[in-house]
Amino acid sequence: MTTMADHSAPETTTPGNTLMTTRRGIDWIGIPVVAAVGLAAYWLLPDDLGLLTRILSSALFVLSLDLVLGYGGIATLGQAAMFGAGAYAAGIAAVNWVADPFALLAVGGVAGGLVALATGALILHARGLTLLMLTIAVAQIVQEVANKARDWTGGSDGLSGIEPAPVLGMFRFDMYGRTSYLFALAVLVVALVVARRIVRSPFGLACRGVKEDPLRVSAIGGSPKLYLVALYGVAGVFAGVAGGLTAVTSGIVGLDSVGFSWSAEALVMLVLGGTGRLYGAVIGTAAFMGIHHILAASDPFHWMAFIGLFLIGIVLFLPGGIASGVERLVGLVRGKEDRA
Amino acid sequence: METIFGIAVDGIAYGMILFIISVGLSVTLGLMRVVNLAHGAFAMVGGYVASYAAQAAGLPYAAALVVAVVLTVVATLPLERLLYRRIYGSANELNQVLLTIGLTFVIVAGVNYLFGPTLKRIPLPDLLLGTVSLGPKAIPAHRAFVIGAGALTLLGLWWLLERTDFGIRLRAAVDDPAMAAALGIRTERLYLATFALGTGLAALGGVLGAELLPLEPYYAIRYIVLFLAVVAVGGAGSIFGSAAAALALGIVDTAGKYLIPNFGEFFFYAALILILFRWPHGFFKGRTA
Amino acid sequence: MTRTLRNALLGAAFGLALTAGSAGAATIKVGVVAPFSGPFALVGKTFKEAIEVYQAEHGKTVGNDTVEFVYKDLDQANPAQSKALSQELIVKEKVGYLAGYFFTPDALAVAPLIDEANIPCVIFNAATSAITEKSPRYVRTSFTLWQNTVPLAEYMAKQGIKKVVTAVSDYGPGIDGETAFKATFEKNGGTVVDTIRMPLKSNDFAPFMQRIKDAGAEAIYAFLPAGPTTLAFAKSFSDNGLKAAGIKFFGPGDITQEPDLPALGDAALGITTTFNYSRVHDSAMNKAFLAKHKEMFGSTDTVTFTSVGAYDGAHVIYQMIKNTGGKSDGAKAVESVKGMSWESPRGPLTIDPNSRHVTQTIYLRTVEPVDGKLENVEKAAFANQPDYGYKVGK
Repeated sequence: MTTMADHSAPETTTPGNTLMTTRRGIDWIGIPVVAAVGLAAYWLLPDDLGLLTRILSSALFVLSLDLVLGYGGIATLGQAAMFGAGAYAAGIAAVNWVADPFALLAVGGVAGGLVALATGALILHARGLTLLMLTIAVAQIVQEVANKARDWTGGSDGLSGIEPAPVLGMFRFDMYGRTSYLFALAVLVVALVVARRIVRSPFGLACRGVKEDPLRVSAIGGSPKLYLVALYGVAGVFAGVAGGLTAVTSGIVGLDSVGFSWSAEALVMLVLGGTGRLYGAVIGTAAFMGIHHILAASDPFHWMAFIGLFLIGIVLFLPGGIASGVERLVGLVRGKEDRA
Repeated sequence: METIFGIAVDGIAYGMILFIISVGLSVTLGLMRVVNLAHGAFAMVGGYVASYAAQAAGLPYAAALVVAVVLTVVATLPLERLLYRRIYGSANELNQVLLTIGLTFVIVAGVNYLFGPTLKRIPLPDLLLGTVSLGPKAIPAHRAFVIGAGALTLLGLWWLLERTDFGIRLRAAVDDPAMAAALGIRTERLYLATFALGTGLAALGGVLGAELLPLEPYYAIRYIVLFLAVVAVGGAGSIFGSAAAALALGIVDTAGKYLIPNFGEFFFYAALILILFRWPHGFFKGRTA
Repeated sequence: MTRTLRNALLGAAFGLALTAGSAGAATIKVGVVAPFSGPFALVGKTFKEAIEVYQAEHGKTVGNDTVEFVYKDLDQANPAQSKALSQELIVKEKVGYLAGYFFTPDALAVAPLIDEANIPCVIFNAATSAITEKSPRYVRTSFTLWQNTVPLAEYMAKQGIKKVVTAVSDYGPGIDGETAFKATFEKNGGTVVDTIRMPLKSNDFAPFMQRIKDAGAEAIYAFLPAGPTTLAFAKSFSDNGLKAAGIKFFGPGDITQEPDLPALGDAALGITTTFNYSRVHDSAMNKAFLAKHKEMFGSTDTVTFTSVGAYDGAHVIYQMIKNTGGKSDGAKAVESVKGMSWESPRGPLTIDPNSRHVTQTIYLRTVEPVDGKLENVEKAAFANQPDYGYKVGK
């Protein structure tokens, strides 16, 4: 949807293919920029690593949403089901059996992927509002299961006592959060690289085809639903890894990680940053959580009004999210260079 | 037998309340194709106006209700001009979601600022206090009143959409806006009127449902899933569909809570999934009334 | 950019604070994590106001040191966020004490942090018994569900009530309450005829009311989180004729917290609860607290149990600073207040050396109008109630 809007939105003055080249250019440098900015933040804001780690693991979650929404056109308000499944699976594994952080991420990814495949096969025949409701219902049921299984999950008290072993046996997760931050940054960058490979693979392109014209895909012999379920499963792995990452870096998992508001917040962050770009997920998450943090520190009572006005402003003046603004800016600079 | 009767009565009463607070969303979502997540916020504004009118200004319940509906419509009409008009059209769903969430946040913050975070109530007249007995089962008088009001709303909307000139034009504009415009239907005005209808119904629901969904600033966010569920099950835009969905969900929820309370939440959402599996477009697909 | 600006401003403010103080004196920071926005914003407000009242009464200095409270907003139960905020308080703000915490998971999340940093954590609210078992640096000045429920169940049994239905919200504290009630009430000869766990997101309580009626109970023990659900539950109780049928309504005092009473209205009349604080508690100290609160903030409408939780928490922190001479040593600070007794607006308090939770008087109260306002009027007092839930269960 948003990809379509990009071509038809105000910037139609720029020829379509210039925009495409701009976008490809940014796409290429996007991942190194995330890595560089991430490392720079490590040196520049050494006292804020707790918040920054939360931003990184949340960005990974929003990235998983971008895969389903931006590349598969699946509108969902239940992505937290996979995030929470991953977080609880990693947490339970950490408390009972394994301590290696990489193994815990794998456990989270598998759990997220399985939940996504199982529920995706059940609900992805639907579209629009119906699909939205089904995803909400699935997440609510997962949350209720987590609430009921108190012996395993701690219920509403949360699952605490997750103590992962040092990364590679050397770097301990300490209270300054240095290990957590660099670990999360590495995971996010690797995830971005993998996600980029996936969306550019024949499979990713086919999913895009389904999104834009499901009829044509079925006409040439593909099954649109099969592609969507597969994509949903892949994104579920990403969301599960994000959940596992949160469990590892924060040491606790709460029912909020399966909550409706977490799914909704992710959607807001994604649309804020821009869908269908991967790095839009990172920009949106950093912008939303950064603004929240600053406003909540200065005036906790009224940050909602600011963030609300910000959202309205984005829709009215920058449809396509912050990323499309960046692209326009870069396009403008490039255009000048070309002329010069 | 008595148990089944009791569940049915409680379920219908709950369902009618669900209907009356959700039908406004069915109107905006089904007829205007706007995913209006600010529906709950409009309902809440209606409730707060009624509460203020009844408590601070001392108006009787009926007058407070009318004032709430009228003031909410008047207050939200500029929003149609300023905001909603820019996001009409089915290609805009994501922007609709984002903009109406933003609007909801602003309204929540505003209400919190003006009225504070504590619960507010709308005092009921003596007539609506106490209970009404239906054979072996007694229900609160207020609920009986809401059932009546819900039935009237249902009939009124049916008449408005099926039997009046406005309804015919509206349905024409929904089916094919370009053709309707070519035929001289002023779609802009029509949309404005429909938006007013949607917010008016939201305010009505906010006031009448306040006994069940108490007024506080987070009302706007807390119940939005519930409203969406009713509309999705009923089929967006279908008035009878919304009523059928609300009653079905009300009865399922009541039965689940009565029979196996410890798993009440499962029951509701499992029913939702099963219904949407069987009727992916809701009970009454694409029917206006 | 904004962050740099903010850091610069903070730095400037800090510099000013330093030059303003006399030589040798230090500023000891206390980080308070609580909801200041969102549905539970009222809690943060009551915490902050009570701390300010305490500081107005007792000064902002302990010995040579200035005590400064730093507030962080955590709008909902979100343990990962709780840990990030607490980490920021320790690493960036260099706080010597952590305090606040409304929800249990948020309090539990900081256990590894306070142990690693050797910082005391004074919990103003989070009421699950098990929390203080997770770290020796937790001290709690609120209450637990067990602490309120045990005397209530004993009282009900003594009143000759035989058949009770428990109706609690289906989450940690609710289940704690149900367990505590059932164990105590049955030990005292009563019968719990039905245990209902209601989903947290319930809107319509009519089916539960029908179930209570069908069970033939003489009374109910109910616990729901304060706020809209309690209101709907209490209304449903009277609207569906249970009140008229003579069924008695008992529960822990959270359900009739003072800020909700005006909205509860007549539906609240006659609800009998046990709790550690009522706004109309009759003591000179409470009157002084309310008077100071009114003088500073213009009204006492929002004063409730979270206010005294924070007020007494501030007192414990002041004592810890005094006992350690301003040095930062969490283990020693906690050790120094074990067994400490003092008089609070809610009555006499002692920190139990084992559970590090306050032993206090629990009051039996009934909702009645006082000067045109609904209040929890105290009817009886049960002195020296410990946390009966400490090390029960697991």
